[in-house]
Amino acid sequence: MVLLLRPITALLIGTIFLMLLAWLLWPRKGLISFWSKRSQNMKRKLQEDALKFIFDCEYKHKSCGLHSISGNMNLSTNKAAKIITQLQSIGLIVMKEDEIRLTDAGRSDALKIIRIHRLWEKYLADETAIGNVEWHHGADSKEHLMSLKEVDILAANMGNPVFDPHGDPIPTNKGELPTYQVQSSLSSLKEGDIARITHIEDEPSIIYAQLVALDLYPGMEVYIMDVTDEKIQFAANGKECILNVLFASNITVEKLSKIEPTQKKYQTLSSLNVGDKAQVIGISPKCRGQERIRLMDLGIVPGTEISAVLKSAFGDPTAYKIMGATIAIRKKQADNIYIKSRQNRNEQTARLRELSSVS
Amino acid sequence: MFNNQEIKSDDIISLTNTLRWELGIDFHDKIIESIYADASKIAKQSIQIEDAKNSTILDQKIDNIITSKWFGFPIMFLLLAIVFWITVAGANIPSSWLAAILLDTIHPFLKNIASQIGMPWWLDGVLIDGAYMAFAWVVSVMLPPMAIFFPLFTLLEDLGYLPRVAFNMDSLFRKAGAHGKQALTMSMGFGCNAAGVVATRVIDSPRERLIAIITNNFSLCNGRWPTQILIATIFIGGLVPSHWAGLVSAGAVVSIAVLGIVFSLLVSWGLSKSILRGQASTFSLELPPYRPPRILQTLYTSLIDRTILVLWRAIAFTIPAGIIIWLVANIYIGELSLAEYFIDWANPFAFYFGLNGVILLAYIIAIPANEIVIPTILMLTVINSGLTGIGEGAGVMFELDSVADTKRILTAGGWTLLTAINLMLFSLLHNPCSTTLYTIYKETKSIKWTAISALLPLTIGFIVCFFVTQLWLLFSS
Repeated sequence: MVLLLRPITALLIGTIFLMLLAWLLWPRKGLISFWSKRSQNMKRKLQEDALKFIFDCEYKHKSCGLHSISGNMNLSTNKAAKIITQLQSIGLIVMKEDEIRLTDAGRSDALKIIRIHRLWEKYLADETAIGNVEWHHGADSKEHLMSLKEVDILAANMGNPVFDPHGDPIPTNKGELPTYQVQSSLSSLKEGDIARITHIEDEPSIIYAQLVALDLYPGMEVYIMDVTDEKIQFAANGKECILNVLFASNITVEKLSKIEPTQKKYQTLSSLNVGDKAQVIGISPKCRGQERIRLMDLGIVPGTEISAVLKSAFGDPTAYKIMGATIAIRKKQADNIYIKSRQNRNEQTARLRELSSVS
Repeated sequence: MFNNQEIKSDDIISLTNTLRWELGIDFHDKIIESIYADASKIAKQSIQIEDAKNSTILDQKIDNIITSKWFGFPIMFLLLAIVFWITVAGANIPSSWLAAILLDTIHPFLKNIASQIGMPWWLDGVLIDGAYMAFAWVVSVMLPPMAIFFPLFTLLEDLGYLPRVAFNMDSLFRKAGAHGKQALTMSMGFGCNAAGVVATRVIDSPRERLIAIITNNFSLCNGRWPTQILIATIFIGGLVPSHWAGLVSAGAVVSIAVLGIVFSLLVSWGLSKSILRGQASTFSLELPPYRPPRILQTLYTSLIDRTILVLWRAIAFTIPAGIIIWLVANIYIGELSLAEYFIDWANPFAFYFGLNGVILLAYIIAIPANEIVIPTILMLTVINSGLTGIGEGAGVMFELDSVADTKRILTAGGWTLLTAINLMLFSLLHNPCSTTLYTIYKETKSIKWTAISALLPLTIGFIVCFFVTQLWLLFSS
């Protein structure tokens, strides 16, 4: 067995080959994924993004000019002006006294892009395991690639959803959207108010990532505890959160006419000790898609009795008795299930009795 | 009038759309919740639950032992070791019977008939030495271990023990981005990868199921254990004094199997972080109550669903492969057979990986089943090194009863300790057999995942062999 290359040379070549392979195939940073990102048509992408922004202004009855476009899209004024001229020349927008207006064709194009964007966000949220900070980004590139036909099939497969995961309405395939209603933001609430989060703005992404890190989701009930000029303090799912007013203004809420919060502090299923019983209150809105459906299929819905029966050798997962069956789920899932401990209720009634006997 | 109706239906659709917006974001959840609430209310009124306290208390006691920190894993290793021991020890006897009938009796008998009716030598070679021989080999080596392993495994499953194994192992697999039930499909893979791939149906989460399918090949299957044991006995056991030989070679084989598990977990982790990142993932694991196993039903289903299915697929792939094996050894271009051409051509390349052309050719033409790799290697080595007086002739696979004779053939073929180690590594880390690949395609319905399942372990195998060889050469020179 005679080899032409000496081992040291062969090892060197082998290592270089491995590095090349990694450089080529590395997920999200490698050459292949870089190429696939680059292959998108940059010009069209910018035009469509501008169109989307102009539509958003129109929808929210805000004025829209050159500066707001360049500001929002992070472009120089020159570039923004160039895009506007391009859009004008293909007849998607018209200028009226310094204000940009969409033509009918432009509006329908914008609605199409928004439909794809929101549907794709919904798809990523419900049908994949991609994290919520990446939804917007993923949809941003997908919206320029899909055809209306493809998106209609996608929508039909998901049961024609009407809201995206941030709480924004999805335009129908006819281009209809509900009329925009001025909604109150979290920052406008007063102490003692109870409200439900209906929408969390996903742009700018730095603020959105912060809000996600606080576990805030559309559908969540909040209870305002303290409001100052700079900060707002509130309870959401039993956790106390403090946000500055700028961040809070990115959260849209719907005021509820309740006086008592349903539950100030939620106990999670993962905190239930082996041998204890509890009642399910609900599943956090954080748990979505197939995972949520699976848990509900197992019978984890408000009112179900649940008891922890067994911990595995490493301590995770834990087995629970649900509707007569023993089902093991992981701690990460159990963290998203809210329960009302039975003992707690007994304690509460006991305390009430005490109170009443004292008075 | 038709037009009128159309307008009307459009109006209705747009009205429903506006109404759906007003329903809010959690409308679907509310419906499901109310359905469940109604269903459980009805169930409560109409179903009486018998007091099954006694059995649940017993179940609880068993569970407490089986899932405890101290006893859980020893019990698991012990039970699995017993299952493997019964399989290996029990399969030897029927295997040798089958071999005696199919290889030593029927094969000469067929040859005899062929020569009596004056069949041309090439047809006789293709049909009897090629196709029949491969078929007979696979049946006699593959059938007995599967017929023992699968029913035993299914019994453990039926008893309710296997879900507890998944329950205990989940923590480890969770860290690798996989499902606890992959512990089961992996164990099944030690019996047969094709059956292991079918078994991944128990994993209901799409991402984790794909991970389990792609990594199943890292479980050293029944077809590869004999290869590992033979090579380890000859080359690694031979390094130490003879009273240590058995232990050392067994240790080498077990470390290869453990290396397979390590690769399985590492690759699972890598897959869940890269190409499978976006696939939806959920987890739930039912722990059914313990119950006495239904032995007859278990025997029936494990034989029909697993053994026969896998065997049938293996045979369907082996027969054409047997023909090809015979042909490459018997078609001559000038002085050399096709096999020799390939071996000479592949040798310079294969040496960099510590392998040789014979091994590469054997892994290509014996792709239907790992069981026939060693017989093919022996046959090719005999042809290539021009040995005479050993074997059954060109294109006829054979194995020798004597380990020493086998060693003589392999050393004549230029094998060293390094070749042996690389063969053991390559036997663990190469593409799954075509039976498994076909099964993967059947299960995933995707050429992409099938290709990845084939190419990923093969690439890893070449990389590992290359670095082992070059480092070895670097330090030994």
